[in-house]
Amino acid sequence: MAEYHRSDMLAASPSGYCPGCLHSLATRLISDVITELGQQDNALNVISVGCSALNLLYWSGDNLSVAHGRAPAAATGVKRTNPERLVFAYQGDGDLAAIGLAEIMSAANRGENFTVIFANNQTYGMTGGQMAPTTLIGQKTTTTVYGRDPATTGYPLKMCELISQLPAPAYVARFALNSPKGVREARAGIKKAFEMQLAGKGFTFIELLTNCPTNWHLSPLDTLEYMNTNTIPYFVPGVYKDITAKEAQA
Amino acid sequence: MGEKRFMKGNEAIAEAAVRGGCRFFAGYPITPQNEIPEYLSWRLPEVGGAYVQGESEVASINMVYGASAMGTRAMTSSSGPGISLKAEGISYLAAAMLPALIVNISRGGPGLGSIQPAQSDYLQATKALGHGGFHAMVFAPNSAQEAVDIVYDAWEYAERDRNPVLVLMDGCLGNIMEEVELPPMKELSDDDIPEWSLSRRNGRDYQGNITPIYTEPILEGINMMSGEMYKAWEEDDVKVEEFLMDDAEYVVVAYGIASRVSKEAILKLREEGFKIGMIRPITLFPFPKKNLHDLDYSRVKGIIDIEMTVPAQMRDDIALQVMERAPIYEYGRSGGMLLDDDGVYDAIKEIVTGGNDNG
Amino acid sequence: MKQSFVFSGSGGQGIMSAGITLAQTAIDMGKHATYLPEYGPEQRGGSAKCTVVISDEPIISPLPKCCDNLIVMNEQAYAKFFEDLKSGGVLLANASRVKEANDRDDVTAILAPVDDIALGLGNPRAANIVLLGVLIGATGVVSREAFVKSLEKKFKAKKPEVLAMNIQALDQGIALGKK
Repeated sequence: MAEYHRSDMLAASPSGYCPGCLHSLATRLISDVITELGQQDNALNVISVGCSALNLLYWSGDNLSVAHGRAPAAATGVKRTNPERLVFAYQGDGDLAAIGLAEIMSAANRGENFTVIFANNQTYGMTGGQMAPTTLIGQKTTTTVYGRDPATTGYPLKMCELISQLPAPAYVARFALNSPKGVREARAGIKKAFEMQLAGKGFTFIELLTNCPTNWHLSPLDTLEYMNTNTIPYFVPGVYKDITAKEAQA
Repeated sequence: MGEKRFMKGNEAIAEAAVRGGCRFFAGYPITPQNEIPEYLSWRLPEVGGAYVQGESEVASINMVYGASAMGTRAMTSSSGPGISLKAEGISYLAAAMLPALIVNISRGGPGLGSIQPAQSDYLQATKALGHGGFHAMVFAPNSAQEAVDIVYDAWEYAERDRNPVLVLMDGCLGNIMEEVELPPMKELSDDDIPEWSLSRRNGRDYQGNITPIYTEPILEGINMMSGEMYKAWEEDDVKVEEFLMDDAEYVVVAYGIASRVSKEAILKLREEGFKIGMIRPITLFPFPKKNLHDLDYSRVKGIIDIEMTVPAQMRDDIALQVMERAPIYEYGRSGGMLLDDDGVYDAIKEIVTGGNDNG
Repeated sequence: MKQSFVFSGSGGQGIMSAGITLAQTAIDMGKHATYLPEYGPEQRGGSAKCTVVISDEPIISPLPKCCDNLIVMNEQAYAKFFEDLKSGGVLLANASRVKEANDRDDVTAILAPVDDIALGLGNPRAANIVLLGVLIGATGVVSREAFVKSLEKKFKAKKPEVLAMNIQALDQGIALGKK
């Protein structure tokens, strides 16, 4: 029988994420992979702004908390001066795809040898559920009370599709955390990204489709179903770029 | 003995930074400071450091934030408009208690202003480098040599205080070539990496957190500690030059390039019998309050604030110390129009001979 | 003794290089010098200007309003800065381009066809060296020996012919300046 115990990387306190929030699961997956790779002392978590900032309370490895949207820039400073470290940033959709769009695209384009994990839940959770750059068309938020209208707010940004167009990134993949299969694939994807970083392969990008029961005004279970019918058809999971796949073929 | 070179102010700053232990630079092109990143782009890799041309001023200051968190001596440079963009990051550096060197080679403002030299960023530098009511020590060298000496030791202050340090010069001093004597390379080892940093090269084997976010009572405590630190600067760290002050009846207050042009004029006016002296703040923050406060106002007939900006920005800081015991006059050029020897001479002479009622 | 020099012309005429080389030479001779370039969007192909101050004493202000020596490479520079030349100062104009120089009788005007001389040497780019030669010949601000050392440093990565040609340019300038 498999044992289930708290990950080494997480502090011995209950999660403060809302009940049913997949940030908790994402955090758990990352910490498990770091433990599995024996990188507990070497990992450095660049913590962004939004609900993701709560990781500062739960994470028991080295943490650098930075300004909104600037995690890829700060991680650049970290990794360029300490290339031996396993550096990753965990960013939400407002942080990464709105205010930090220049930083993420530029770090990806420079092929910075760190990993960005992008939690896409289509809303600004921390500030109370405003429209995010990834909010779906028609999705209601506190700033799109009749649903997102592309005529005035444009379309949800597909970050994997954008980043995978750049020559430099090594691995770009999207996973949905609303099913056991998706969770298993995400865990393997995170592990692959970290292994590639440790091997010096360059920029790795993992998008995790998550939820926000509080601001979507749905029960946790209903958010998982909402993701199946609304999120996943638009933000299609899959590996968008993998330079090691080409290496394997060659 | 150091090594003498004929160098541009900007390049002298860059080389002094490297010799002072700088191993990371991130910046974004802007005139008139481009020689600093250009120099460091090849020089830092030579000494095992890293140079990154950021996608913006905003990104660059945050790259410095990341490098500094690792205990690396890190810097950025820019000019007025770029420093405004860096304001967010500088505030975060102060909040996260991270040392860094920020160099502002200033130009005409506000807005995009002029790319020509001006001392237009005194207020930004000394009052609000960013939001949240913090201060950085602000040094205002008036020559390439003084810039070298200050930059070389900038991290000694920054690491002592765990706070950013600003060096403020104008485009003229940044672009002028003059002789400098360069100090030797500081040899720093992994043992010198600060214990508070997130580096593990110094042997730290426990969790490290660096954050600009605090719970309320802790943040209040940090604000109070900062207040104490600023007071300690006033006691310990004021740098000021007094020039011909023993019998001065008129006191010029000028910093940076304005102080050099003023000194030339003062010497000429002294030859004509006018008793003029000068107080030159080398640190703009902490401001040399005592030097102005404790003047013998039974002798001093007037204070003359000379700056390469209009209106004068240092005037309020001067007035707080003069306390209406003498009139304060001001003279300046602005917008990229330079102060010059004759203009400053004429202006001071007009004031001391009673031809100026700008007090 | 403190002397100020304003060099002006258009981008590509070696104005900045002339200013730096003169200042560097003065420093190599144990004097003090500052060099201030006028920088900006016009630096390529537009107008070029730099100010050099040379003194036996450390230099306090590098920003003289008026100069003791004005060296102009074209008419526009002459028109723009002629009024900034001090009474009793020296005007050195590139006669190949400045046709109507000096309507003031309180300055010494030297008109030298430096472009033509450089062209005669087979290298129009050496016009600035000819010009500095004239300046050195006329004012003795730095010694020929020290300036040749500066040229040796400046052209050490180039073929030896380049240095020889520049020394020739310098000497022709000096000879003209001494007249």
